[in-house]
Amino acid sequence: MSSEKQKILTTDGIPLEVSLKKAEKKNKIKAFLLVCPLLLFLIITYVFPIGDMLYRSVDDRMVTNMLPKTYKAMEQWDGKDLPEEEVFEAFYLDYKKLVEEKTFGKLATQLNFEKNGFKSILKKLKRKMKKFEEGNYKEQIMEVHKRWANVEYWRALKRRAPSYTYAKYLKGIDMYENEDGNIVQVPEDRRIHKILWLRTLEVALFVTIFCFLMAYPIAHLLATLPMKYSNLLMICVLLPFWTSLLVRTASWMILLQQQGIVNDFFVMIGLVSDDNRPEMMYNKTGTYVAMTQILLPFMVLPLYSVMKTISPSLMRAGKSLGGTPFVAFWKVYFPLTIPGIGAGCLLVFILAIGYYITPALVGGASGTLISNQIAFHMKSTLDWSFASAMGLMLLAGVLAIYWVYNKLVGVDNIKLG
Amino acid sequence: MKKLSKLLLTLSFVLSITSSAFAVTVASWGGAYTESQKLGYGDPTAKKLGIEINWVDYSGGLSEVKAQQEAGAVVWDIMDVFAMDTITGCDEGIFVEFDFDKDFPAAPDGTPASKDFFTSMPSKCAVGNILYSWNYAYNSDNVKGTPKTIKDFFNTKKFPGKRAIYKSALTNLEIALAASGTKPGKGGANIYKALGTEKGVQKAMDKIKKLCTDPKGGCVFWSAGAQPPELLMSGEVVMATGWNGRFFNATVGEGAPIVQVWDAQGLDYEYFALVKGGPDEANAKKALAMMTNTEMLAGSAKYIAYAPWRKSSIEVMKAGEPWYKDGKTNMVPHMPTAPANTKNYFLVDPIFWADNGTELGEKWEAMKAGL
Repeated sequence: MSSEKQKILTTDGIPLEVSLKKAEKKNKIKAFLLVCPLLLFLIITYVFPIGDMLYRSVDDRMVTNMLPKTYKAMEQWDGKDLPEEEVFEAFYLDYKKLVEEKTFGKLATQLNFEKNGFKSILKKLKRKMKKFEEGNYKEQIMEVHKRWANVEYWRALKRRAPSYTYAKYLKGIDMYENEDGNIVQVPEDRRIHKILWLRTLEVALFVTIFCFLMAYPIAHLLATLPMKYSNLLMICVLLPFWTSLLVRTASWMILLQQQGIVNDFFVMIGLVSDDNRPEMMYNKTGTYVAMTQILLPFMVLPLYSVMKTISPSLMRAGKSLGGTPFVAFWKVYFPLTIPGIGAGCLLVFILAIGYYITPALVGGASGTLISNQIAFHMKSTLDWSFASAMGLMLLAGVLAIYWVYNKLVGVDNIKLG
Repeated sequence: MKKLSKLLLTLSFVLSITSSAFAVTVASWGGAYTESQKLGYGDPTAKKLGIEINWVDYSGGLSEVKAQQEAGAVVWDIMDVFAMDTITGCDEGIFVEFDFDKDFPAAPDGTPASKDFFTSMPSKCAVGNILYSWNYAYNSDNVKGTPKTIKDFFNTKKFPGKRAIYKSALTNLEIALAASGTKPGKGGANIYKALGTEKGVQKAMDKIKKLCTDPKGGCVFWSAGAQPPELLMSGEVVMATGWNGRFFNATVGEGAPIVQVWDAQGLDYEYFALVKGGPDEANAKKALAMMTNTEMLAGSAKYIAYAPWRKSSIEVMKAGEPWYKDGKTNMVPHMPTAPANTKNYFLVDPIFWADNGTELGEKWEAMKAGL
């Protein structure tokens, strides 16, 4: 039937369908071109770096390619006792080539990440190797330093054999794969990352809760006060927001330290005795206080923008229908503010989880968070693949929280204004 | 609009010329330290050679320069780095290797450069500029008696009150061992030998832990160099480890009642390194050779209490006392290398820390988490 139907033609004789499609196509291209800069921007600044990080965290081809003979010889080795002569010989030949090419330093750095102490024995080997005689390399190498006779170092070497590896992720949760292929925990006195993850989560969670408890009344006041007061209050909220982060952190240090202004005041009014001043800085209390104050505007602003749109007559209607003020608030007002709460909490939580300058300055012994560890490996040890792995784990954590939030509340329910 | 874009284009072109060519860029730590470098030897060298020397701030580590090299756009010529970074940077091919006595001028009396420097370099890519000290200081208003030794730092019975120590393991483990009776030996060799064993590390960690959990003691961990004098002045702690230049500034510069103790001080070094493939490598090399000669190195000590690396520079300072910029303070006694200050000291061992930094760092954090 449709095929029989006469095709509708435009004035220039082209079927309408084709002409329409053409016009639409043009529009689509135009639309695409309009969003193109943003898309490119996102790809270049967001998708590409994250992809690169992911790749870095699993890519271990460098070490594999540097020691081809060694790893081939090691295939037969079970990892129990010291490897045989042929492994030593293969390693010697590989390493000699690296020394000639002057790239052995990179290998030393990489292997030192796997097992501490590798760097110096590789360097010592480089110095002593010039006088090596042919044959019996096992003995000659072991002669250089006693660590070469320690099977742990050869196991560490073997662990770096695969071209792609998830070892860095295991390390991020204090685990490693031992020579039998089992995933086990690292020795107790080195389990640090798990503590840091939990501490980071704890700090972020509590800061979010404190921010919420403090921001809700403030936002409510802001939304309900007459313009002339609410403007003033708004400035009070925004002013610290515009002040430098370091200045605010330092001010809290001055206020809260044991010889600080707040403690001086407590002593003056006789609340505490002079030699028994409470510690409010360089511990968790200090971290919570400073971070809550710094992140407060991120909670106040979304809450305010949502509360502003709630008509005051709704509360009045609730009360006139017989609800007590609390019931009216809980049944009518509070549910309407949930989109703002969601937005504020997510915002504060995500900012708090990656925070590190403030906890590092005011946190004392317990001030190190996972982000400090990432920065440490990024800047000091140059173990970028480990830093990338931890960064991605942090990102995955944030996404997981976002997912849970989506399941519980729904992302459509977020409102920033 | 067209005019504006043309103007912008020209401007950016001009800027790119002026910033890329005819200028040597040095990355350093900023603050009073860079100021001392700029005034002490940067500007005089620039004037003598007729080139421009720009100083930019960075916060340490090799990550930035490594990223620059990976991107193929190196913007720094010279970097002011820690010993550990010169080793890593040299191994990874980030820095240029020197032919030391050929690249750097001899002392005025003819001593070759390699003999004139306080100790040998940790890598072939390093040339020393200053020596500084990790020592400790106390506020004489808040301490009864006079702490004299490293043992006093850990003695909370005699000197009750909180201590400020550096946030990571570096130098803390060393002083803990020195305070538990390990004699540093030549350059601290004994300490590092002990730290090479599980037992030694445990002993050091326990000593720190005891200090921090002691109800009469307690620890505040500092991360920025400005913190220790600040914590002492506010009375938050009674003693603090720190960098001697910062204590000097608080005492001499600001008149604070802070006294430094040099027993078991850790001598640490700062180095210059030449970045491979920097924008102006030839001029940078010339500038570096001049900046690290006897006269020039002595110049920076006019502005900050860090010791020039060259022994001959100290002689220049002695002849020119009072050397400090205020015109009345003798500088040589404040140098970490002054004989009175080096009766008992250790040299912070970069190779030890390059080897064991990560593992000890993890153990340190685990210990801190249990406080």
